[in-house]
Amino acid sequence: MTNGWNDIQHADVVLLMGSNAAENHPISFKYVTKAQEKGGKLIVVDPRITRSASLADLYAPIRPGTDIAFLSGVINYLLQHDKIQKEYVVEYTNAAYLIDPAFGFNDGIFSGYDAGKKEYNTTTWKYQLDSKGIPKKDRTLQDPNCVYQHMKKHFSRYTPEKLSAITGCPVDTWQKVVDMIASTHKPDRVMTIMYAMGITQHTVGTQNIRCFGILQLLLGNIGLAGGGIQALRGESNVQGSTDYALLWHILPGYNPIPMQKKHQNFKAYLEASTPKTNDPQSINWWSNRPKYVVSMLKAWFGDAATKENNFCYDWLPKAAKAMPYITLFEDMYAGQHKGAIFMGTNPVVGGPNADRIAKALARLDWLVCADLWETDTSVFWKQEGVNSSAIQTEVFLLPMAASMEKEGSVSNSGRWAQWRYAAVNGPGEARSDLWFLDKLFLKLKELYQSDVTNNRACALPDPILKANWNYAGGHHGDEPDVHAVAREINGYTWANKKQVKNFTELKDDGSTACGNWIYSGSYNEDGNNMARRGSKDVGCKIGLYPGWAWSWPMNRRIIYNRASVNRNGEPWNPKKWVVKWTGSAWKGDVVDGGGTAGPAAKNPFIMNPEGVGRLFAGSLADGPFPEHYEPTESPSRNMMSSRDLNPSVKILDSVRGDFGNVAQFPYIGTSYRVTEHWQAGAMTRNLPWLTELVPSMFCEISPELAARKGIQNGDKVRVYSKRGNIEARALVTKRVKALKVNGRDMEMVGLIWHFGHGCAASGDSCNSLTPSVGDANTNIPEFKAFLVDIRKA
Amino acid sequence: MSEKAFLLDTTKCIGCRACQVACKQWNGLPGEQTDFFAGPEYTNPAGLSSITWNYVKFFEVDRTNEEHPVWQIMHMKCFHCEDANCLKVCPERAISKVDGWVVIDQNKCIGCGACVNECIYHVPHIRKSDSKTYKCNACTVNEREIPACAFACPTGALTYGNRTALLQEAQLRLKKYTKAGRDADGNEIAPAFPKAQLYGKDQFSGLKMLMILRDRPSKYGLEENPRPLEITKVEQIHDTYALMSMFTFGIPSLKRAAYRFAKSLANSSDRNRIS
Repeated sequence: MTNGWNDIQHADVVLLMGSNAAENHPISFKYVTKAQEKGGKLIVVDPRITRSASLADLYAPIRPGTDIAFLSGVINYLLQHDKIQKEYVVEYTNAAYLIDPAFGFNDGIFSGYDAGKKEYNTTTWKYQLDSKGIPKKDRTLQDPNCVYQHMKKHFSRYTPEKLSAITGCPVDTWQKVVDMIASTHKPDRVMTIMYAMGITQHTVGTQNIRCFGILQLLLGNIGLAGGGIQALRGESNVQGSTDYALLWHILPGYNPIPMQKKHQNFKAYLEASTPKTNDPQSINWWSNRPKYVVSMLKAWFGDAATKENNFCYDWLPKAAKAMPYITLFEDMYAGQHKGAIFMGTNPVVGGPNADRIAKALARLDWLVCADLWETDTSVFWKQEGVNSSAIQTEVFLLPMAASMEKEGSVSNSGRWAQWRYAAVNGPGEARSDLWFLDKLFLKLKELYQSDVTNNRACALPDPILKANWNYAGGHHGDEPDVHAVAREINGYTWANKKQVKNFTELKDDGSTACGNWIYSGSYNEDGNNMARRGSKDVGCKIGLYPGWAWSWPMNRRIIYNRASVNRNGEPWNPKKWVVKWTGSAWKGDVVDGGGTAGPAAKNPFIMNPEGVGRLFAGSLADGPFPEHYEPTESPSRNMMSSRDLNPSVKILDSVRGDFGNVAQFPYIGTSYRVTEHWQAGAMTRNLPWLTELVPSMFCEISPELAARKGIQNGDKVRVYSKRGNIEARALVTKRVKALKVNGRDMEMVGLIWHFGHGCAASGDSCNSLTPSVGDANTNIPEFKAFLVDIRKA
Repeated sequence: MSEKAFLLDTTKCIGCRACQVACKQWNGLPGEQTDFFAGPEYTNPAGLSSITWNYVKFFEVDRTNEEHPVWQIMHMKCFHCEDANCLKVCPERAISKVDGWVVIDQNKCIGCGACVNECIYHVPHIRKSDSKTYKCNACTVNEREIPACAFACPTGALTYGNRTALLQEAQLRLKKYTKAGRDADGNEIAPAFPKAQLYGKDQFSGLKMLMILRDRPSKYGLEENPRPLEITKVEQIHDTYALMSMFTFGIPSLKRAAYRFAKSLANSSDRNRIS
């Protein structure tokens, strides 16, 4: 999230798209309703009427998977009618930048496409550079090669009539949405966008969010109070988990994981991953990457990490191929894993093509489930219809401590790391995750040492034996010291072991150690800043509360805040200013890029080498501009081009036959959550107060579809997809309505995905129906748009 | 009229049911065994019971205006009427005002069902296991500063405070909701909730649950001008009951029978029957 939860109250317009925050982030609606109290308007764009829509000032329907068509039309409107924050666009985005003349786009394909590899050669997606190596610009925005003119051309294809036919949203409703959005192009009017899985879980998910980025940059809403792009994170501490790299493709602090082919040695890795710029106005913060990766290696390998051995870079595992979730489970299905450790995760309910995942688990020799209690996944081997005796997997269920029973920090969507104490010890033998990981590592170390001492064959013991791992001394028993972990994460100088103030003190010469650079400053010599609960506000009193906990980076609350002022340092919106330049210093929030540089000297988007927001983004797999493509399983041809599916999406050979068409499965299937259950249901389906509210697996269908199929409210139905079929109860509701797709009425079957068969409240899993295909950049599965059939059971 | 009250602004309710769960948790009430939804929509259980002291009622969505669908969602519980039928009709005087709230003392309750019959909102319910009647007691029994339901509400749809102040706040909000406005460019904006109205100001001499509704109360199953129970009719029954209960040895089942007899006697002698 760029802005934080409580900042939502400052929005003049709240766009809720790909989110049902009232149901799934209910506390956030405290701030949405506050915004409405102050005159702000809530727009909800959703395939059906949700509890969020019940509070909307304007509701617009949309077919699942057509967000790019909807939003590209909005972008087109803003450009055609000049409803952009002109000064902001020229100063702070790459609108004026000239693109390589060889760049092009035709019939759904950008220049450089390799159909065999399903990849783009992106050499034409680059800026033209001047003699100094700085991108050429036309600040009048007239040059046909400038990004602005490319955009006008590209987005002009998304006329209201065209997008209405694709999305099913009536033109006049869409126009009302546009008018509200466009009103925030004024410097003192601001829109915030709240989004979640509804818009990311698609094969075009990344480009969906790119539309938001483009919109907010054109409107000048990034960096301002009440603005920004608000990713509503899901699982508690998923923000922490991505910050600390619990994803295959990154190291802590969003540094890239080394790849076998590209990063043979440390020099190659740093060379490839450290961006350069010749533009003196660009801060280019990632140029500091070597300091962060070296400091991380020093933290991990201590004395063993020296300049001579490239700080043990060779000991880091190098990825042979991309290993996202779908690939992982396909490899498991093919028998490539001996074992797996699942900590607080329930893949047989939460993963795509879930029946296949359950079969994959059966290929393991062993599975460890670390959970609060038995979950559907931990009992995958004794489900109805499963021949348990044929499954050789040995399953261990380890009792774990719940959130109130352990100490540590949780990072919220607003990047606030808030420290928590253990209120009680866990029951019985329940242990914290920290205890489990610490003891696991120490035991492995013991076994490796024994092998070495006894001259037994042992592959690469050094990374384990020489790891810098000293976390003993926690608050009770043999609990590790979570403060020791937090202090290492903050970083310290190696020689005297003093905490660094923040990441500006990190070096690339091995003299500093730091577990995660973005959290540097969270636990320094001042103490545990994450445990602070100060309620003093600063600046314009918009609720920054810099003394409450600690947010990354540098305790900055609103990121890109340098864009909230003009080149004189005057806030675009003086009534709700975030930072301002006094002539010699900055006031308010912690300013981007450091306080010494004034507003004219440096560009605000410091995480880009060019320092400006990217309307044209050449670093993505599927194109520098968003383009509408249909979901993998779609009820319609693509009305924008002859490319139905995103050309950069790779479908694994092992699941190539697992996709259906609209003739076999005539209804749009989509999946979502309700307030009353949590994710894959392990946390909530054992709680009687919650199962009272939502006791069974259900789907939602329109009265028209119900009538056609002879289904009454409450009837048992079976829902089918190419991958499986499940039983559910039917909730017949007017909140679901057919959408006109290219003139034809398309009905939808909406399913909640909280159910499985391992808890007190039991039901079939929606994810038995979903497909094993994901976004072209992230591979996040396409849970939100597929094809199904439905019949009365 | 005693100090405190609830204000329910249904225009802010997101139907999250934190109120429903908070009440269960605070009062140690068990979850209901439900099968599907009682309906409409997600409503579960179908209504209040001896173990469900507040619940969230979902109504059917009205899609007359596709761009502004109306989906009324309403927290429902005892209204704690100032002139409460249940309090008047109880033959054992088991129901009384505690800090202005209408509270059943289960020690005195004989489960006769008189209050169940007279409450037009169908609030009190007899528990089979102990033949006693239960309902919301505004967290006066298991005491806390702010009742659990109001405390849990994330959007401030359900708030708790001084009744006079809440009434003022409600009037202010209604003015805002029903008035047309102007946007930043001076264009007219239609009123957010043109038909919004308040329920609970005067019913039963004033309810301690004030509700801002999106439309007429009758649309939501609420009687707009309910007639409170006539005290004379009740007194008749109570006099007879008082006499008869002297011969019940304090046994609840005998007391219930005595009440039924007293009631039928009173009803047979008079056209204005009590239900």
